[in-house]
Amino acid sequence: MKVAVLGCGGLGRIHASIYAGMQDVELTGVCDIQQDLADDAARMTGAVAYSSFEEMLEKAEFDVISIALPSYLHKEYTMHAAKAGKHVISEKPIALNLEDAEQMIRCCEENGVRLFVGHVVRFFPDYVNMKQSLDEGKLGRACVAHASRIGGHPGATKAWYNEVEQSGGVMVDLMIHDLDFLRWSLGEVKTVYGLNRREELLDYALVTLQFESGAVANVEANWGFPGQFQTKSEIAGSEGIVMANSLKSSSLQIHKAPSASETSAFVTVPESPGFQSPYELELLHFIDCIRTGSESIVTARDAYKALELALAAIESARTGRAIYLPLVQR
Amino acid sequence: MKKLRIGMISFAHGHAFSYFNSLHALPEVEVTGIADSVPSRVENLVRAHQLSYYEDYRQLLDTDIDAVVICSENVYHAEITIEAARRGKHVLCEKPLGITKESMEDMIAACRDNNVQLMTAFPCRYLAAVIQAKKAVERGEIGDIIAIKGTNRGSFPGGWFVEPELSGGGALLDHTVHVMDLMNWIIGSAVKEVYAYAAPLFQENIEVEDAGMIHVKFASGVFGVLDTSWSRNGTFPTWGDVTMEIVGTKGVISVDGFAQKNELYSKVNGKGTWEFWGDNMDAYMIQDFVDAILSGEPVPISGEDGLHSANVALAGYQSLKQGQPVQL
Ligand SMILES: NC(=O)c1ccc[n+]([C@@H]2O[C@H](COP(=O)([O-])OP(=O)(O)OC[C@H]3O[C@@H](n4cnc5c(N)ncnc54)[C@H](O)[C@@H]3O)[C@@H](O)[C@H]2O)c1
Repeated sequence: MKVAVLGCGGLGRIHASIYAGMQDVELTGVCDIQQDLADDAARMTGAVAYSSFEEMLEKAEFDVISIALPSYLHKEYTMHAAKAGKHVISEKPIALNLEDAEQMIRCCEENGVRLFVGHVVRFFPDYVNMKQSLDEGKLGRACVAHASRIGGHPGATKAWYNEVEQSGGVMVDLMIHDLDFLRWSLGEVKTVYGLNRREELLDYALVTLQFESGAVANVEANWGFPGQFQTKSEIAGSEGIVMANSLKSSSLQIHKAPSASETSAFVTVPESPGFQSPYELELLHFIDCIRTGSESIVTARDAYKALELALAAIESARTGRAIYLPLVQR
Repeated sequence: MKKLRIGMISFAHGHAFSYFNSLHALPEVEVTGIADSVPSRVENLVRAHQLSYYEDYRQLLDTDIDAVVICSENVYHAEITIEAARRGKHVLCEKPLGITKESMEDMIAACRDNNVQLMTAFPCRYLAAVIQAKKAVERGEIGDIIAIKGTNRGSFPGGWFVEPELSGGGALLDHTVHVMDLMNWIIGSAVKEVYAYAAPLFQENIEVEDAGMIHVKFASGVFGVLDTSWSRNGTFPTWGDVTMEIVGTKGVISVDGFAQKNELYSKVNGKGTWEFWGDNMDAYMIQDFVDAILSGEPVPISGEDGLHSANVALAGYQSLKQGQPVQL
C-alpha cells in the first residue's frame, strides 16, 4: 500500500516516520507548503518532498493520504483527496463544525474511499486498559468519571492554534480526545454543560457530560498549564474504580546534571516508553482496516459525535445553559 | 484560669468523637456532659471520662455550660442551635449547617439576638495545604483566579445519612459544603449561579443520591465544579479525598488535602491502605473555636459561612429539578 502525508508539522512528521518504518507500506510523498519542512521530512523518511498537494497528487502514486494540516483545512483536503479516489486518514478533530464533518463523511462514501480520524487516545494503552476494566465488569455500572488533559498553549509556537476559527479552541482541539474516550466507554451523551475562559495563550474548560445511562463525567482541559503535559482519568463504578495518571506511570526518568547553557539546576525528563507508540498502533490499525475492509475501532461517525460534544460544550459555555443533544447547529 | 465549659449534643455524626478528643486534649476546656437520645452511642465515652449523660439535650442546656458542640442528624441542627442560643450557649455546629435556607437564617438570627456565637464546623479550613494555597493566591502567585475544580469524594455512609427525613439530602448536600466553603473562602466572591446533577448511581435502592456533580459561577466571573460523590468503595485504600485544582491566569495550584500519607500493605488490614500522617485538622479547628469563645473574638467560621455553602447545595437540588442552571 502506498501512502502520502500532507502537512509536515508536529503530527505530520510523526505520521511520516511511522509509515516509513511500516512493513508492506511505502511512503511515496510528504508535502508541506513550507518547503523546508517537506524537505526535512523527506530526508528523514526517504520519501519525495512536495510543496503543494496538487503537485503531489499529480506526481506521486498513493492509495492513502494522511492529513496532518491545521484543523480548519481538514475538510477542504479530505474532500479533495476523496474526489481523487484516495482513502483519508485525517488528524482530529474531523472538522470545526458538524456541517463540514457531515459533508466529509458523505463525500468519502460517495467516492468509495474510507475516512479515518486520529482519535489516538483509543490506542493509548492506559486508556484501553481502563475501558477493558469496565468491559470486563470489574467496575460494575459506570457512575462518575473524570478526565483531565493539561499542558502548555500550542499557540505559543504555532500561531494558528490561537485562532478559534482555525483550531476550534481547547475543547474542539484537546478535550475532544477525552470526550471521544468517555463516549466510547460510557455510551451516548444526553446533556452537555460547559464552562470556559479564554485569554491570550490561555484556554481553560470544564465540561460535564450526563450520559443516557445516568452516569456523569467531568472533563478538564487546559491550554496554559505551566508544566509538563499530563493526562489523568478515572471511572468510578458500582463495583470498582479505575484510575490512570500519566505522571504516575512514567516508567523512565532521566535525571541530568545541568549543562553550562541551561539555567535550571537539574533536568528531569519523565517518559513512558513502549515498543510501539499509540500513533503507530493507530495508523497500523487504519491501514489494516483499509486492507481488510473491516470496521475501525474509531469510525468517522465517532469523530462526528466527538465534535458534536465539543461544540455542545462551547454552545453551553456561550449561553450558560445545559445543552440537550442532538446539537442543533446555529 | 477560667475553663471553658462545653457540652456535646448528639454523636449521630461520627465527627463528634474526633471533636471530643480534641476538646479533651485542651487544658482550658472542660467537657462537662453529653446529651444523646441514643445512649448506646455514647455510653463508653461517658463511662471512660465520667461525664454527665442526658437523654434530652435540653437538660444539658440547663446546666452552667458556656458552649455546645452539635453533631446531631442534619434535620435537628436548627432546633438544637436555637434552643442553645436562647439559653445563652455558644454553638459549634456540624456541617451542613441546616437543610433549608430559612432554618439556617433562624439559627443565625437566634444566636445574634441572644449574643452568642455560632460557628460552622468546616475543618478543611485547617488543612495546612489549603491555608498555604489561599496565601499563594493572595500573593498573586498564579495571577487572577479563573476556576477551581474540586473533589470531595467519600464512602457510602449508610445509616441516617441516607434517610432523607433525617439528613435532608444525600451526597450533594453532605459533600458540597466543605469544598464549597473553601472555594468561597479563597475566591471571596458570592456564588450567583448553580448547576448540578445528582442521582443514586452506586448503590441500589437508596432514597438519596450518592453521586453529585455541582457547578458554580461566582459574581467575580470565577467558575467551579465539585464532585461530591460517595464513590469510594471498601477496596479503595482510603475513605475519600479533598482536592482542588485552582487555575489562574499565570499558573495552577493543586491541593490534595490528604496526600500526606504512607502506603501500607498489611495482611492485618486485608488490603492496601493509605495511612494519613498530616496534621489533625479537627484539633486546630476546635482550638480556634475555643480561643474565640474564651477571648470574646468573633469565631473564624461563621453561621453565614455555613449558610452560604449549604445554600449552594440546596440550589443544586433546584437545578436538578429544572435540568438547567439556577440563579441564587
Ligand atoms: N492526535 C494528536 O495527539 C494530535 C496532537 C497535536 C495535533 N494534532 C492535530 O494535528 C493537526 C496538525 O497539528 P500540528 O500540531 O502538527 O500543526 P503544525 O502547525 O505543526 O503542522 C501543520 C503543517 O501544515 C502545513 N500546511 C498548512 N497549510 C498547508 C497546505 N495547504 N498544504 C500543505 N501543508 C500545509 C504547515 O506549514 C505546517 O507545517 C491538527 O489538526 C491538530 O489538531 C493531533
